[in-house]
Amino acid sequence: MAAISLLNPKAEVARAAAALAVNISAAKGIQDVMKTNLGPKGTVKMLVSGAGDIKITKDGNVLLHEMQIQHPTASLIARASTAQDDMTGDGTTSTVLIIGELLKQADIYIADGLHPRLLAEGFDKARAKTLEVLEKIKIPIEINKENLTDIAKTSLKTKVHPNLADVLTDICVDAVLAIKQENKPVDLHMVEIMEMQHKTDTDTQLIKGLVLDHGARHPDMPKRVTNAYILTCNVSMEYEKSEVNSGFFYKTAEEREKLVQAEREFIDQRVKKVIELKRKLCNGTNKNFVVLNQKGIDPMSLDMLAKEGIIALRRAKRRNMERLALACGGIALNHLDDIQESQLGFAGLVYEHVLGENKYTFVEECKVPLSVTILIKGPNKHTITQIKDAVRDGLRAINNAIEDKALVPGAGAFELTAYNELMSFKDTVKGKARLGVAAYAEALLVIPKVLATNSGFDAQDTIVKLQEESRLNPEPIGLDLTSGEAVNPKEAGIFDNYIVKKQIINSCSVIASNLLLVDEIMRAGMSSLKG
Amino acid sequence: MTTREICSLQFGHYSNFIGAHWWNLQEFSFSFTPDDYSEINNRVLYREGLTLKGQPTYTPRVLLVDLKGSLNTLAEHGELYDTSSSPKENEIPWHPNRIEVKEDVKKPKSEFLQDLDSGPSTTVNKNYNFETNVKVWSDCLYTRFHPNTINVIKEYEHNNQDAGFDLFMQGKQMWKTEKFEDDFSDKIRNFVEECDSLQGFHVILDGNNGFSGLGSNCIEHLKDDYDRKSVLAIPVLPSYYNDYSNETDEEQRTSQIKDSIRVINSALSFTDLAESSSLFVPLCTSKDGWRQPGLKREFNHVQYNDKLMYHTSAILASALDTITLKYRLREGHYSLSDLCADLNLHNRKLAAASLCLPFSFNEGADLIECLDNWDGPLTQSITPRCTIGTDRMMQLITLRGIPEDRLKKPYDKAGTQKDLPAYRCKNVNEMLNFYMSCTTFGTATNVTNISKDVQSIPILAGLHSCNEISATIESLHTEAKKIKVERLPQFTSTGLEKDEYKECLEKLLDLKECYEENYLL
Ligand SMILES: Nc1ncnc2c1ncn2[C@@H]1O[C@H](COP(=O)(O)OP(=O)(O)O)[C@@H](O)[C@H]1O
Ligand SMILES: [Mg+2]
Repeated sequence: MAAISLLNPKAEVARAAAALAVNISAAKGIQDVMKTNLGPKGTVKMLVSGAGDIKITKDGNVLLHEMQIQHPTASLIARASTAQDDMTGDGTTSTVLIIGELLKQADIYIADGLHPRLLAEGFDKARAKTLEVLEKIKIPIEINKENLTDIAKTSLKTKVHPNLADVLTDICVDAVLAIKQENKPVDLHMVEIMEMQHKTDTDTQLIKGLVLDHGARHPDMPKRVTNAYILTCNVSMEYEKSEVNSGFFYKTAEEREKLVQAEREFIDQRVKKVIELKRKLCNGTNKNFVVLNQKGIDPMSLDMLAKEGIIALRRAKRRNMERLALACGGIALNHLDDIQESQLGFAGLVYEHVLGENKYTFVEECKVPLSVTILIKGPNKHTITQIKDAVRDGLRAINNAIEDKALVPGAGAFELTAYNELMSFKDTVKGKARLGVAAYAEALLVIPKVLATNSGFDAQDTIVKLQEESRLNPEPIGLDLTSGEAVNPKEAGIFDNYIVKKQIINSCSVIASNLLLVDEIMRAGMSSLKG
Repeated sequence: MTTREICSLQFGHYSNFIGAHWWNLQEFSFSFTPDDYSEINNRVLYREGLTLKGQPTYTPRVLLVDLKGSLNTLAEHGELYDTSSSPKENEIPWHPNRIEVKEDVKKPKSEFLQDLDSGPSTTVNKNYNFETNVKVWSDCLYTRFHPNTINVIKEYEHNNQDAGFDLFMQGKQMWKTEKFEDDFSDKIRNFVEECDSLQGFHVILDGNNGFSGLGSNCIEHLKDDYDRKSVLAIPVLPSYYNDYSNETDEEQRTSQIKDSIRVINSALSFTDLAESSSLFVPLCTSKDGWRQPGLKREFNHVQYNDKLMYHTSAILASALDTITLKYRLREGHYSLSDLCADLNLHNRKLAAASLCLPFSFNEGADLIECLDNWDGPLTQSITPRCTIGTDRMMQLITLRGIPEDRLKKPYDKAGTQKDLPAYRCKNVNEMLNFYMSCTTFGTATNVTNISKDVQSIPILAGLHSCNEISATIESLHTEAKKIKVERLPQFTSTGLEKDEYKECLEKLLDLKECYEENYLL
């Protein structure tokens, strides 16, 4: 490739123009596919692969990765949406739509002979200005149930149907408030998400404690106990031959047997320590004892524990060690040298639930659980995955609001305001870069326009209507998707996350500019190859 | 005796090809009649399960990873557990009139797979023309998997020449994404939790692409979370790559760059494996493995096309099936950790493998004559750039499919057999041991023999820790050292620093040195 273009500079220019056209049409194509998904009235896509795999999603990022789009432009856009998702957990459809629209707008100006570089310059000026608008429009909030409910509800209603959204909103808000500690950042990992293929979606519930996806591995262990001490540990209770001391060639059967014995004895001592403590604390009372071990517990050890009525689970998740300590109190122990009551946690109820080959252990009735579990239920795997994605996004939205200590009015209000401000800012920009600012302003309107179209209203009419209203009303104006009329999103409780909008503004103009400046990038790429 | 389980992991398309053949191979020789007693304990690699509807299942305890578009007609979650395919509209939690269904054209299953669905017995003695019809491993898969088994990376596409999962660092990064690491390590944990007496892990991983990095990070994870379990890693190298069928100069140059990239991946992968696995055994059906795979290895009576993954992977699968037998038997104490300890002395983490396929001799002849007349080494190396010698080795030899009655003739009919010193050997095991002691020097050999092995052809396979391995490492080092990574934007953009690469090369030399000390066993 390089060789030909070096000989023939004209060919390079021609290819750059072609590359730009390809980029623009690819971005438009992706935009077309995603458009229908935006907002609470958007569509959900059910993708069925040739092999029969099913994926149900409304999320722009998931869609981009599920669909077979084989194109470098697509992969650049996909990367932007993945970055958006990683950083904020939301706004991926908007990202794709705005990038597509920026390129569509650019196409018009480039057809008129404007150089892509000037457009990109304008985009960058507009980006800076739009960030200013965002700072002005954001609404500082107090962290309370009401405000968090607003943002969670707006988010979840774009993911699942309203009945379920209501259920999930309460669950998510309660979960975050439960684990939130004063003056500490929220660690969303302390909300465990578990799934059970069982019953219906609205049976999804918040457990003020922990649900583990495994059960006791001994038939004689109790299936349900109350008033339970919880011992959390990371201590092997299994006989393991280590690699170092094997060496098959040199050992006689007796030597080998001796080694096994010694190791076994060592493990038994550990188990006996647990049993000793259990006897001391529980015998003669109504209290019980549960061991949750990150390491293995072999059948012999299980047997010893079962004889004492102790429930023991092995191979607990690493992260559950931390969660358990927060949910039930106590500390996760790395050795059992002198275990004491103060190191144990406590739960009012521990019981097992079996579904097919899967076992679940519920650790509930914890006093002040600083770690909780959202137990997702649904009739099939696809629905469960969809709900799980929604719950994750809902939790992220709440956490974003807590970190931002602010919200942004939704329903297109921010984009409309930014449009207005950019159009007056445009006149202060010198030279042709101002056309880039205008293109950017126009592109932002894709959000309210598509929200309107997806609700069955005419895009153009709606924009005109909203602009008239905003001339009369100093408050930000958004679109009521049921009536098609102007609405004050603050009053309607429709909010977006500040960080989500900020990230969209930043990434869209960068990606769009990269796609526009494809010829320069190609040239740069070539020189780096040569160098 | 309790089963000592092993959990298997497969990373990458070639690895999955080998896996597919291996699982097939095992299941073809499953016996379901109780009197047909097998010496092999299948539960070491398989697990019993239960569907939500209460039907029992028996599936490999395996997790595998591949890329989007690599499964052809195989559904990701399989068909065993979820028979209800499409959810009803009222089950989707969204406004019923706002659901868009995008259905790809349903791919027709191949004749072989259709026949399998209607009962495996119909497939016997039918010619399915696998050589042309098998494009991906699932096209020849007989086994049915647990719904957790298949993991598809959506970010990269199978066989995408421009944006493939080609770099070691891409794999490392993929592991570190929260979604991948959390999901995958959770699935490992779920399998391990079921095990009463886990021996360790088998990890088959592509030896020179993004999967090498992914697998390598996974092995590190195993080391952290299951510190006393053994990890046997099998990096595998194909004998042919699609970019070799090039026509233009441009394509040829691209192919050369790809070869360089593959060398770098292998170098990075080997140094990681030397650190975090218990033992690793690189496999390739061609002599050279890296830069260009080189001439194909010849096996008596076996004709194969080294350009077909379908063929080469079958050879490597039968090698693995035999090599790993010793610790998969019903009787005996020998475990994966013993094997690793026997072979990885003095940090010799890299071992070579060899194969004799089939190990056959004339009708009516006996093992004793066969060995007496044998010319050259018993087995053929399947580790790149490694010719297995006869001096100062630690080795494990496994023979299957030679019944005890073909050992030697009874005394009255023995004729000249009687004159051979080996005639005093009472069983196959003893005789093979004796043969080894005569043909090697300063070598410790551990022989296993499975005589009752109904369906399969006789196979002899070995694992060796020998001085010759230093040549393997040296050649990789030489190739890797020639490449200037800082000239490959692919690598620098994924965060591979020049110094890091230099360190990797040094570590390769360290590993090589472990094979050079002139100690006697
Ligand atoms: N009830 C509502 N009425 C009007 N607009 C809404 C409402 N809920 C959300 N929106 C708007 O929908 C957009 C988000 O849609 P969504 O489908 O979540 O896409 P994204 O992936 O971009 O987050 C935001 O612009 C938000 O303001
Ligand atoms: Mg959203």
